[in-house]
Amino acid sequence: MSKSKSNYKWGMVIDLDRCTGCSACVVACQAENNVPVVGEERSAEGRMLHWLRIERYWDGEYPHVRARFIPVLCQQCDNAPCEPVCPVYASYQTPEGLNGQVYNRCVGTRYCANNCPWSVRVFNFHEPEWPKPLNDQLNPDVTVRSKGVMEKCTFCIQRINRGKMKAKEEGRLVRDDEIQPACAQTCPPGAIIFGNMADKGSFVFRLSRSSRRFRLLEDLGTEPVVIYLKGGGREGA
Amino acid sequence: MNRREFLQLTGAAAAGGALSSCTINPEKLIPLLVPPEDGSIPGVADYYASICRQCPAGCGIIVRVSEGRANKIEGNPLHPVNKGKLCARGQAALQALYHPDRIRQPLKRTGVRGSGEFSPVSWEEGLSLLAEKLKGMKTAGARKGMIFFTPELQGTILQLVKAFTEHFNGMHVPYESLSLESHRKASVDVYGRYELPDYDIGSAQYIISFGADFLETFVSPVRYGDAYGRMRRARPTVRGLFTYAGPRMSMTAASADSWLPVKTGKEGILAAGMAGVILDEELYDGPALNIYGLNVSELKAAMADYPLKRVAEETGLTERDIFSASRDFARLRPSIAIAGDTVAHQTNGIDSIKAVHLLNLLTGNFGKQGGVRFSPKDLKQTASSYSKLLDTIDDMSGGSVRVALFHGVDPVYALPKTSGFEKALGKVPFIASFSSFQCDTTRQADLILPDHTDLESWGEVIPSIGGDIGVVGTVQPVVRPVHNTLAFPDALLSLVKTEGGKVPGISAYGDYPAVLKEHIRQASGHKPGADFERVWTKTLQRGGIFKEDSKPVKSINRSGKFIFTVPRKAVFSGDEKQFPFHLHIYPSAIMFDGRSAHLPWLQETPDPMTTAVWGTWLEINPKTAGSLGITHGDLVEVESPAGSIRVPVVIYPAIRSEVMAMPLGQGHRNFGRYAAGRGVNPLDLLETVVDKENRLPALGATRVRIKRISKKGGLITAGHPDGSYRGELLEI
Amino acid sequence: MPEEEGLKQKNIQEMNEKMLSSIRPPTGKWVFLAVVLGAITGWAAYAWWVQLSTGLVVAGINRPVMWGFYIINFVFWVGLSHSGTMVSGILRLSKANWRRPILRAAEAMTVFAISVAAMFPLIHIGRTWKAYYLIPLPNSMGLWPNFRSPLLWDLTAINTYILGSSLFLFLGMLPDLAVVRDRSVGIKKKIYTVLAMGWRGTDREWSLYGKASTIMAALIVPVAVSVHSIVSWDFAMTLVPGWHSTIFAPYFVSGAMFSGVAAVITLMVILRKAFHLEHHLREEHFDNMGKLLLVISLVWSYLYFAEVLTIWYGHKPIEWEVFIFTADRYSFLLGLMVLGNAFITIPALCFRRVRRSVTVMLFISILVNVCMFTERFLIIVPPLSHRNVPFMWGNYSPSWVELSITAGALAGFALMYTMFAKFFPIVSLTDVREGLEMKKKLKIGRSTVNARIEGE
Ligand SMILES: Nc1nc2c(c(=O)[nH]1)N[C@H]1C(S)=C(S)[C@@H](COP(=O)(O)OP(=O)(O)OC[C@H]3O[C@@H](n4cnc5c(=O)[nH]c(N)nc54)[C@H](O)[C@@H]3O)O[C@H]1N2
Ligand SMILES: Nc1nc2c(c(=O)[nH]1)N[C@H]1C(S)=C(S)[C@@H](COP(=O)(O)OP(=O)(O)OC[C@H]3O[C@@H](n4cnc5c(=O)[nH]c(N)nc54)[C@H](O)[C@@H]3O)O[C@H]1N2
Ligand code: SF4
Ligand code: SF4
Ligand code: SF4
Ligand code: SF4
Ligand code: SF4
Repeated sequence: MSKSKSNYKWGMVIDLDRCTGCSACVVACQAENNVPVVGEERSAEGRMLHWLRIERYWDGEYPHVRARFIPVLCQQCDNAPCEPVCPVYASYQTPEGLNGQVYNRCVGTRYCANNCPWSVRVFNFHEPEWPKPLNDQLNPDVTVRSKGVMEKCTFCIQRINRGKMKAKEEGRLVRDDEIQPACAQTCPPGAIIFGNMADKGSFVFRLSRSSRRFRLLEDLGTEPVVIYLKGGGREGA
Repeated sequence: MNRREFLQLTGAAAAGGALSSCTINPEKLIPLLVPPEDGSIPGVADYYASICRQCPAGCGIIVRVSEGRANKIEGNPLHPVNKGKLCARGQAALQALYHPDRIRQPLKRTGVRGSGEFSPVSWEEGLSLLAEKLKGMKTAGARKGMIFFTPELQGTILQLVKAFTEHFNGMHVPYESLSLESHRKASVDVYGRYELPDYDIGSAQYIISFGADFLETFVSPVRYGDAYGRMRRARPTVRGLFTYAGPRMSMTAASADSWLPVKTGKEGILAAGMAGVILDEELYDGPALNIYGLNVSELKAAMADYPLKRVAEETGLTERDIFSASRDFARLRPSIAIAGDTVAHQTNGIDSIKAVHLLNLLTGNFGKQGGVRFSPKDLKQTASSYSKLLDTIDDMSGGSVRVALFHGVDPVYALPKTSGFEKALGKVPFIASFSSFQCDTTRQADLILPDHTDLESWGEVIPSIGGDIGVVGTVQPVVRPVHNTLAFPDALLSLVKTEGGKVPGISAYGDYPAVLKEHIRQASGHKPGADFERVWTKTLQRGGIFKEDSKPVKSINRSGKFIFTVPRKAVFSGDEKQFPFHLHIYPSAIMFDGRSAHLPWLQETPDPMTTAVWGTWLEINPKTAGSLGITHGDLVEVESPAGSIRVPVVIYPAIRSEVMAMPLGQGHRNFGRYAAGRGVNPLDLLETVVDKENRLPALGATRVRIKRISKKGGLITAGHPDGSYRGELLEI
Repeated sequence: MPEEEGLKQKNIQEMNEKMLSSIRPPTGKWVFLAVVLGAITGWAAYAWWVQLSTGLVVAGINRPVMWGFYIINFVFWVGLSHSGTMVSGILRLSKANWRRPILRAAEAMTVFAISVAAMFPLIHIGRTWKAYYLIPLPNSMGLWPNFRSPLLWDLTAINTYILGSSLFLFLGMLPDLAVVRDRSVGIKKKIYTVLAMGWRGTDREWSLYGKASTIMAALIVPVAVSVHSIVSWDFAMTLVPGWHSTIFAPYFVSGAMFSGVAAVITLMVILRKAFHLEHHLREEHFDNMGKLLLVISLVWSYLYFAEVLTIWYGHKPIEWEVFIFTADRYSFLLGLMVLGNAFITIPALCFRRVRRSVTVMLFISILVNVCMFTERFLIIVPPLSHRNVPFMWGNYSPSWVELSITAGALAGFALMYTMFAKFFPIVSLTDVREGLEMKKKLKIGRSTVNARIEGE
């Protein structure tokens, strides 16, 4: 999709050397994007709906054991395997390099979820519940999804749209740092950096050139735009 | 046409179809799915600055409000404590406002105590009922006839509560379940300061934490989380290093470059041992020691009985590891040593914290950039005192207490069962609670006068760590009260008023918002008038007064001399033979001490280390588990001298083999639908006082034994138990 | 000669009588069977309704195993539908005469199996009520389904197959429908008259009929092969470790033929017993079907071996992990599959005595289909359970809803079949009689035997 003529190409860098696994981003995402809580029973069945999760891997044995955290969200693949398999174009590539998800188009085949190697797509196995007045907290910018549809991280597209609209009103392009997804905004150590990869001067672009850079499951060739920076120092990682 | 021709033809047709389908440009087919450039988004939101009150850190927040509803809490970038960031609990605080099980109006008990049967009453009725009960107090002349339980308070609210209790001849008992008492005592002895030091982690080169989980729960996690990020990667040439010492690898420890799995209760010995190495190797900062009033030979003498070999034996570490940590600490300056909750909650906690602070003094880190810092003015908060609290329980059992009031604390939940608090409370003739939720204590109340939640209230918050920044955060209502509740300070004021009483320095201003405004005026040093009105508005908009120009203190000004001794041996409840394992209780990274357990977002947020949700668990080293025939998810019974509980097991590869860990935070009997009856409370295993000479809370001073019960522990983890060990498949 | 002619005529009358016995008025036994089958199907319909109203939460699927019993059933039933194609298409084209008595039964099986299969995607998807989004309907948004998705290929292929196999069945039945028409009265006669489309049995009709049958047979074979290739591509086109494999299309086609042929054998045994067709479905037929099954079993085993060998030799960590996980967690099912599909079936079918034993053939044919269902489970569930990201590994077991619907599918299929047998000639008169007209030597497979249809 590199033929896009857009001024924007949204991307993200996650610095694993900063990430402490604190999970603030997990709750921030849930709060921003009207992601429902599914409850104990359904959590046990593996039906949690988080768009962003902190994966924790154990490495080695006591006492030389390490725990590694890696925040995993939709990698917004340029060559997204979840897109061509969707029979109804509910999963599609936007001109700004996002992997869009059209809830009211989705029929719930869950094919895309099988074909997302990161397993970041979550499915509404049941109608979401917000016991009153908990529904008053819902973000009016974000659709509440019904049962039977697929959803996942959107890079907080509602924030992107607001930012772009403001910039357009003022007759300029979106400035670096002007748009922050909820997860990046709250991250205490500043591990998540979001921005415009098409702007070669942007912080996110410069970080993405780091020698510590790698991408998750890069060999699958899906061209994720989420770039991780390796953690660790003295002991290596 | 024969058969072969036919097959050829169908084949060709199929191939043609496949080719042509590739040329279709899907974007052309779905013009309306891509949002148009000038598409519209509904509504313009308002943003209000306030303060997060989910923990004492006091981070600044900005609440997004659209159409009268609060939708999202974000960090306040102007607030010096958290600089626009928030932790998970701060993010979830919104759900307290709209929680479906909030108490919606004043309630009067109708059933027996604890039955949960209440009926609604009007505010007039509720307030006059309490006023009536309090009336007697003033005249009866009974000392301590009324007791007011609150968390540690500051500012105007503290003034109010104090004046209120004095007016009614009562006693104010502040209580925090994660008490900072030991930290304060140590701080006074070492630095002559009552408040806790701030650690300039962001500018340090080397950090060693002794059980201080400063990235998750310790004192100001967001502030330190931000600093940690800068310490690692904000400087072009320096990447700060971090070592963690503690029997269990906490979430904070997981970020460390090296982990020293020191034995339970031996953290102070380790710190002392490191001091010994620094003294022996002459890596200390001599001039600084003179300024701090410390003498090298005296210190060496204090360490005489503790050569490195003995330290290594006692702590269960290798000499080499201790030596290299000591050398790094002394050489990679500025460096910081921090002692945390799990150290403080040993019976030798104060000694150990002092030993850790000695490290900071040895390397001259006091008052430096990248070191240990204090603000110019010692912030004397009302400190909680465990000993005083225990005396209160005796008073209640003795029957001398006639009215017990609760605001913002839940001692029935947050004190060990053995303290007998609940039973003693039963002896109190009248109990009133100002809580917004039916917590375990409020459930026992005779009258509930529900306060607004934080997002509906006025107030001010002095953060637990002000350090060199001198901050007063302002709390303002961001939405109109959702239910028929009344602000706690206004309730107090009206009670005093019905008595015809006055609160010195406060009553003159009428309602609480006026009191607050006046207080802020005084703090900001402005005269009343139009000028201040602008300042007031600006302060509310910014979220507080942030005096960032104040200079940190450079010198130590303590009354006596700091005499260093090697920490004494920690004592434990339970005999080592009968109870072979140490119970390591730690505040949950997600639930904290349990005050946030009612928020569904947090219940479903996987614990960072175990990825467990919706419950409690016991962490066991895989070797220990193997020898006991226990596997992941099994139900076990944990027994201590004080009691027993049943929990599911998490096999935890990063914990000493003789230690078993449990998080605080669950095990509420009430507290709304999401928390009630969920998990267990590890406090049920504790004795109220372990060390008779030192009446301090000791979360870490209990020994336990365990027994496997069944396969079905009901453990839920977000991460696959086997997959969690297969990171190599991701090539990371 | 006239005498002989008369005898033949009488035989034909008798034969018609016998072969049409199934469409006599229903007996108590038949009604009982239909009610039982109907009840099971009804229960499944209730289970589906529960799922529609509460959501897929009532099924066992979860993250990461987003596909479960519904897709297993789908693949399984598509596989079964290869029965008719195999027997009718291939055997017709290869002019194997022994096929004749089972032709109709097999073709009907194809139609019902594929219809049952087509239900499963509807049951499987999250928003069944929006299923029409998958159909290319002209709309003001200019929005079409995505033909790059294998699911659209599926939709197209399955619909083509349903249409094709129904036509195939119907075409073959035309002359028989005329016979039934001529023998029935009242409202039934009217219905059969419409269905028989004015068949009179003229030479021209017969010659057109012959040509059309051959063309249909030639057409249906590539459709059948493509259908199951496409079903395999639902899996093979993805990046899922354990699915992404070029061998999947032939492997699935062989598997489909395997279960299809096995199902025909099962059916032969049942029909033989139910309609007393011992004279028409003889040991030679079982022998031949046995040989066919043996060949397909060998092909299937070879392809499975090739697949596993490649995974083992390549030893790509995640693919090997999936295999090890399958072998560990599902060792019983894996063992069952390998034994049933290869290690028991292949040696057993090498023996003529086995192939000629109706009981043993019944056992083997059922075993093969049980194993083929297992195979589909093993293809779908373990790779989804252990995908690329180990943190998100998971497990799957079907819920009562999925099990009910699975049982309902089998019952519904049997019900449709029972109904069909009640109202249409289940044994093809035309084909059997055509065979009868032919020389007394019958070619069965490669051997030539004495035709015994007349005599006895
Ligand atoms: N999502 C979405 N948004 C849309 C549209 C859409 O299709 N979808 N359509 C757009 C269009 S075309 C329009 S016209 C607008 C309409 O937008 P609005 O003008 O907001 O229309 P309604 O929500 O239908 O009604 C407004 C309010 O009027 C109240 N009302 C009804 N009768 C009376 C009355 O007699 N007196 C008074 N005082 N109040 C009354 C109703 O109870 C309701 O609360 O929405 C626009 N916005
Ligand atoms: N029950 C009920 N009925 C109402 C109202 C109500 O509140 N309740 N509101 C009334 C009011 S105020 C209004 S304005 C009318 C609105 O009534 P309509 O004008 O019928 O509006 P819609 O149903 O929103 O959309 C009309 C069609 O336009 C198509 N469309 C969208 N974009 C384009 C485009 O770019 N090009 C073309 N060619 N087509 C496009 C959509 O797919 C849709 O099929 O409804 C009236 N009727
Ligand atoms: S990460 Fe998964 S959901 Fe996101 S674009 Fe890639 S394949 Fe699609
Ligand atoms: S689940 Fe929805 S988005 Fe995913 S492939 Fe199916 S229709 Fe498309
Ligand atoms: S970018 Fe937005 S939607 Fe995506 S994980 Fe972060 S907060 Fe969630
Ligand atoms: S908020 Fe930041 S540090 Fe915390 S888990 Fe998320 S990415 Fe990691
Ligand atoms: S650290 Fe405390 S004050 Fe700060 S956001 Fe978290 S809970 Fe709120």
